[in-house]
Amino acid sequence: MLGIEFGQDGAVILSGRLDAAQSATAQAFLDKVQGTVTLDCSQLEYISSAGLGVLLKTQKRLLASAGKLRLAGLKPHLRDIFTYSGFDQLFEIDSAR
Amino acid sequence: MEAILRVTRGLAAPFDLTTMLGEVVGAAKQVLGAERGSVWLYDEATNELVLEVATGIQPIRVPSGSGLVGACARERSIINVPDCYADSRFDSSVDKASGYRTHCMLTLPLVDHKDALVGVMQVLNKRDGIFDAYDEALATALAAQCAVALQRVRMMGALLEGERMRHELEMAREVQMSTLPGHMPAIDSYDVYATFRPAELTGGDTYDVALVEDRLLIVLGDATGHGIAPALSVTQMHAMLRMAFRLGADLDTAFIQVNNRLAETLADDRFITAFIGVIDPVTDQLRFHSGGQGPIFIHRAAERSWERYKPTSFPLGAMPLSSLRPAIDTRLLPGDILAVVSDGIFEYENEQGEQFGEARVQDLIAANRERPMADVLALLHAAVVGFAAGAPQQDDMTAVLVKRNGDATREQRRFARTFESIPDMVEYTSSFFARTASDARLLPSVDLAVEELFTNMVKYGAGSTAAVEIGLAVIAGGVEVTLVDRDVDRFDITRSADVDVSAPIEARRPGGLGVHLIRKIAESVEYQYDETNRQSRIKLRITAGKPRH
Repeated sequence: MLGIEFGQDGAVILSGRLDAAQSATAQAFLDKVQGTVTLDCSQLEYISSAGLGVLLKTQKRLLASAGKLRLAGLKPHLRDIFTYSGFDQLFEIDSAR
Repeated sequence: MEAILRVTRGLAAPFDLTTMLGEVVGAAKQVLGAERGSVWLYDEATNELVLEVATGIQPIRVPSGSGLVGACARERSIINVPDCYADSRFDSSVDKASGYRTHCMLTLPLVDHKDALVGVMQVLNKRDGIFDAYDEALATALAAQCAVALQRVRMMGALLEGERMRHELEMAREVQMSTLPGHMPAIDSYDVYATFRPAELTGGDTYDVALVEDRLLIVLGDATGHGIAPALSVTQMHAMLRMAFRLGADLDTAFIQVNNRLAETLADDRFITAFIGVIDPVTDQLRFHSGGQGPIFIHRAAERSWERYKPTSFPLGAMPLSSLRPAIDTRLLPGDILAVVSDGIFEYENEQGEQFGEARVQDLIAANRERPMADVLALLHAAVVGFAAGAPQQDDMTAVLVKRNGDATREQRRFARTFESIPDMVEYTSSFFARTASDARLLPSVDLAVEELFTNMVKYGAGSTAAVEIGLAVIAGGVEVTLVDRDVDRFDITRSADVDVSAPIEARRPGGLGVHLIRKIAESVEYQYDETNRQSRIKLRITAGKPRH
């Protein structure tokens, strides 16, 4: 199951699993954000290419209006996925150690 | 004396009561020169004397103790009344009813050789006067012969009655046995075996194992009591369940409906404890209700442990049901064994009063889990017989074993082609990792590989409606994942163009990324396509040894 909500500091907190079954939920949420948005990924356990697609689409839209997504707290095994896919070059990533 | 001997010889022949009584009365009349005679039989159950035969009179019952007959029965001595209407003990109502007038009467007790009262004989109206002392002696000798002959006929009657009961029981047993399946259902992924060993002539067990509408139905029932009624009521339940499932009823509906019909038709003090389970051989999901039948055991191969389930409901037929507690719903994994065993096995007592018990059943099955289930049940029966050491079998012994075939280190499962299957797949992989104690660090990679391949199949194999089969197997240092997709065109992921991961964001598309990730995380990926069956098979190995990029 995926959790997606705003935190107290305005960051979007992702938790659980961002997979093909949850990507539409995540996309609908992220379609409404504007400007520069931090995704708190410290409770995110899993992401697949469907989840990466949601982030890619959101990033493209925000960049077009001078905003962007920043990823914080990515766990190492998820960081690997960003590396394998070259997505580490498309997002500003502040990983958890 | 000659007459008595002739009578004695005559009394030896008849086996039925009516003929016997006719002989007795005839002999008495002849020997004593009486006009009439009658024999009252003593009914021990009601403490009454019953006039079974008397020339020209209908059968009559009187309480033992009343009238001349009663006085004779009570005192066990001969009563000679020369003038009946002068004796206060005489009951003239019989005369009134028959229109016959009794003048004098001899009344004698019929006592068998064990000194038990068999009845009372009366002879009426001596042709030439009244009965004298010689008649009394003659009648006493005759009465002794009659008592023994009557007792013999009565015992013969009881014996015949017993024989008739036995015959009826045998027929009920035949009906009960005839509903048991003639063969075990043939199903590749399961080893199913059941045995029924009836107690001598009585008992109320039944079982059923059958493939009904692609589901494996498993029933074990035990009706209360012994004899014909329970044998027939379990037979009735057996038939109703088969019918319900054949008509496509789900487990809850079948349980409630059959319970309610049984509640209507069974006597108030009767019920049937029953396990009713259904296994879907595609998903290996077992759902069951147990109405008072228990314990139900499941042997878990991976943990080599037993799960013990209590009944989910009260016995069938005990009272009508409108709702039910939820059925037990569990998945059988490769090597798991469902064991449903009747209390005739658990409660078999040896001469010391010790019961065979649950632990012996579990230990025997666990120790022999790799053998065919037919052999396991033969061993179980032999173990019970050995334990009993000659103590008699008091109850039917019935057992059903259902083992999911296969190796605990590999598993296959099918998933509907929809993204909604993904949570089930996550549950599937994580439970596989847990029970095979696989390296938990590899689980996200396995999930990623499974999801990426599965979503590709859902997206690009849209022409197919077949479920996707996902296999998992433990291999050295990791896990092998196999996906089989049926009724699809060739789509070799190992040959698809690689993704340029250094392209600028404007040029990036999500497509192809999944396959790219799989190549990164898997140690090896193989693709096979079967033209004849239009079937794609992708096998990949995910191990801890995979070098990081």
